[in-house]
Amino acid sequence: MAYPYVSDLEVRVISKYFGDPGQRRIDTYVERGGYKGLQKALGLEPDAVTEEVKASGLRGRGGAGFPTGVKWSFMPKESIRPHYLLCNADESEPGTFKDRELMRWDPHQLIEGCLIGAYAIRAQHIYIYCRGEFFEVNQILARAVEDAYAKGYAGEDILGTGTTIDITVHQGAGAYICGEETGLMRSLEGERGEPRVKPPFPAAVGVFGMPSTINNVETLAAVPHIILNGGEWYRQWGTEKSPGTKLFCVSGHVQKPGNYELPLGFPLIDLIEHVCGGIRDGNELKAVIPGGSSVPLINAEDSSICTLDYEGCVEVGTMLGCASVIVMDHKADIVKQIRRMVDFYAHESCGQCTQCREGSAWTAKILRRIEEGHGTEEDLDTLMEITQQMVGTTICVLSDSVAAPVQSSIEKFKDDYLALIRGGERVGAA
Amino acid sequence: MSDVPFRNPGWAGNTGEFDLTEEQVRGDDFIGQRPLHGGHSSVSGTMPYMLVERNPQAGLFEGEYQERLEKILTRYPKKRAALLPVLGMVQELRGYVSPESMDRVAELLDLSPAYVRGVTTFYTMYNKRPVGRHLVQVCTNISCNLCGADEVLAAFLRYTDIELGATSEDGDFTVIEAECLAACGFPTCVQINSRYFENVTPADVPKIIEHLRAQVAGSD
Repeated sequence: MAYPYVSDLEVRVISKYFGDPGQRRIDTYVERGGYKGLQKALGLEPDAVTEEVKASGLRGRGGAGFPTGVKWSFMPKESIRPHYLLCNADESEPGTFKDRELMRWDPHQLIEGCLIGAYAIRAQHIYIYCRGEFFEVNQILARAVEDAYAKGYAGEDILGTGTTIDITVHQGAGAYICGEETGLMRSLEGERGEPRVKPPFPAAVGVFGMPSTINNVETLAAVPHIILNGGEWYRQWGTEKSPGTKLFCVSGHVQKPGNYELPLGFPLIDLIEHVCGGIRDGNELKAVIPGGSSVPLINAEDSSICTLDYEGCVEVGTMLGCASVIVMDHKADIVKQIRRMVDFYAHESCGQCTQCREGSAWTAKILRRIEEGHGTEEDLDTLMEITQQMVGTTICVLSDSVAAPVQSSIEKFKDDYLALIRGGERVGAA
Repeated sequence: MSDVPFRNPGWAGNTGEFDLTEEQVRGDDFIGQRPLHGGHSSVSGTMPYMLVERNPQAGLFEGEYQERLEKILTRYPKKRAALLPVLGMVQELRGYVSPESMDRVAELLDLSPAYVRGVTTFYTMYNKRPVGRHLVQVCTNISCNLCGADEVLAAFLRYTDIELGATSEDGDFTVIEAECLAACGFPTCVQINSRYFENVTPADVPKIIEHLRAQVAGSD
């Protein structure tokens, strides 16, 4: 059940109980086989748990796609110092709404995944950094964590095994940059959420200076199923390099927007046409952003051949990111939407790096000028020049995220810009 | 219009092909139940509410709030890490974080006032000045924008008769633009205090405002 719409093409592993209010209750969760993965994991050596996740090929669902098991194996084997597992629930990439659904419909699945992950990396404390705006989600999650403590799934001597793992839900306060792992760690420490240079990587020097691992909500939600059924089982879906299932958050101009859990490698055009019921009002497809606002957008032609796995998206010049598919029909005003996204980045830039702080603001200003009909053709060259300087030159990738939509839209939808600059009829204007 | 059956159970998100009530979608029996003392220490750092009635003069960290504070402090190896949850408590009580409140927090956590000010101003959710009883935040980022968020924002401004960012004279409403609220499949998403209203169209706006005004009147 992938609330709000269902498709026969889905493979529902982590979204099975979306739309089922009963799943929030711990008794129902346990009745349906919940916390069995945790029980199994606690009977294994921590490294065996990591190996199983490695075997599954699970890749980080927060955008980077780094193999989860490999990330866990970077953690020191000793546990003289405290280790921490951080769950990144600061979902705020425009177009992405999967973690909120995972937490509000199935909070115990996430808690179980966190506990297994913590056990594997020898962490005794989990921090779930939940987005501040998610008051409602936080309350559902808070009750679930309290229930998990009350029933002995968290805290001291979990299920009588002598293992102690604590969970703390930490609420953010409205800063997109805290979704970046080092920004998140600093925010958790009570600082401004300004990212820092890596290395040292979190596995060596993480939160509070201790070895830490940061995983996305969706990544951790898949872990109980992998432990219970085995890594090979997870590989029955997806491609060799991108195994398993993934939640696709489809928004924009489709008939049935929503979250759909599909095997990785699913064709983008089938997602739009067959899963989401096609474009609204019988309109034509114009552009798709397949991975959230930080990845390049592609045109209809590339969309028809794009497959939704980490490699398939790269082949058409974009990225899977966190699989937030934003669909635009032929009436969409590309320049306005790009300007809106850049406004967002200009607002969310933490201001440490010059290229990002100044670049995002300049870019927004020029785009607004073009949008209002006062742009020149040289402005397009200036935009390309500014954004080229914003790639790979800063502490974190927020700056790169400005460049991706701006450059790709100028490359693929130059006519939209030129129409505004030359004073022709505006594309998408009502 | 699309031929997809559209059911809107009171702005809680289109239930699409599901037959769910607003209460079931939101998890009403989970929401609004958090105790002021914070419950179990594992979750005492979450900000459960944004109260409609706030008192800018309210005493900080007294009674149940003191209890909550003590629980929060047990969860972190360093006192400073409690800063965000503590600022959240200030806002919950007083509705905004004034420079005086920041100084008080600094004293409490052994930090310098300038440091606390630096952190507070980094995060958008901390109101630096008083806001209306209902803080209306309309998402106008890409997914909502593609589906008409600008019109929804305009409708809120029209029906509350205030300018963007301003507070109405009766102190009931402040309307601002918000960045993506992570409800992109349910456009337009509007966050009002701690609650999400989803699938909001301009036609829903007068009904929502009426609903909120009734809430204000009811709580007097």
